[in-house]
Amino acid sequence: MGLIEQRFDDNIITTNLDKILNWARQSSLWPLGFGLACCAIEMMAASASRFDISRFGAEVFRASPRQADLMIVAGTVTKKMAPVLRRLYDQMPEPKWVISMGSCSNAGGPFPTYSVLQGVDKIVPVDVYISGCPPRPEALLYGLMRLQDKIRKENTVLRKARVIKSGESEPVLVEDRG
Amino acid sequence: MQNLLKFFKTIFLIDLVKGMWVTLKYTPQPAFTFQYPAERRPVAPRFRGVLRLQVEPETGAQTCIVCDQCAKACPDDLIDLGGHREPGLKIKVLDYFDFNLSRCSFCGLCSEVCPTKPIKALIMSEDYELGSYNRDLQILRVDEMYDGVPIENYSR
Repeated sequence: MGLIEQRFDDNIITTNLDKILNWARQSSLWPLGFGLACCAIEMMAASASRFDISRFGAEVFRASPRQADLMIVAGTVTKKMAPVLRRLYDQMPEPKWVISMGSCSNAGGPFPTYSVLQGVDKIVPVDVYISGCPPRPEALLYGLMRLQDKIRKENTVLRKARVIKSGESEPVLVEDRG
Repeated sequence: MQNLLKFFKTIFLIDLVKGMWVTLKYTPQPAFTFQYPAERRPVAPRFRGVLRLQVEPETGAQTCIVCDQCAKACPDDLIDLGGHREPGLKIKVLDYFDFNLSRCSFCGLCSEVCPTKPIKALIMSEDYELGSYNRDLQILRVDEMYDGVPIENYSR
């Protein structure tokens, strides 16, 4: 929680400041390159010149979590990878968002097994779920636009609770689940 | 001699000019970026998008005969459908068709086994823009199976 975040009531200055901050946030989403499986190929295609994710200001795929705003979880999250994913999510600075890309990270996909995490929303709060196996690059751009819609409606300096729809389960670590 | 050649190469920046020439050759070409939300790329003829139920085009009558073959063919058990018989009708009336999109791997086995002719009741449509804010909304009900997945607006 910063110095100004969610500390002010509605008035003409704070609502306009909110709009400016949200505009800045939604138009420079720097993703953390979190490619885990074949969805990562489509993510790379989305960042290449034919689809060009930089038209949405999200082209700078960071290799480190400290410089990233958005985590695109692209691919099957195994239970061995899950604590690493959670740690990288914790290392990202606020504000941060998560896109779950593809059936595997949405719900485990065609792997209902002991080794695959059944949905990445069990460990991190997910903002947008993109279906597809893998989703086309256009579908990723569509999900990004849905996320931008969400950011545009968030409260940044206004005093209201930020809503994170994280599915039914509270985000907990894998080791904590019996 | 060799040293002199290297000296002239360095003086006249031959390697740099060679490199920039490649850049210059590609510069006048038009950009081949698809302006996605404005311009939509046509999908391949056998593209498999989200599952869709079809009706008879003229009458709007139900084509699904509730034979449950798609639910049996699905490798992940994502389809659940049911219906009931009505006295006057020959086919069963479809009551519910729940399709769990979140796990679907778009293999197309369900639409492949669909036996209805001449109009297939269950097809893989060309819709690929699927994004939702909540996992509950990824279970498609019978209305969404007929009309397609709507664009969801975020509300706080």
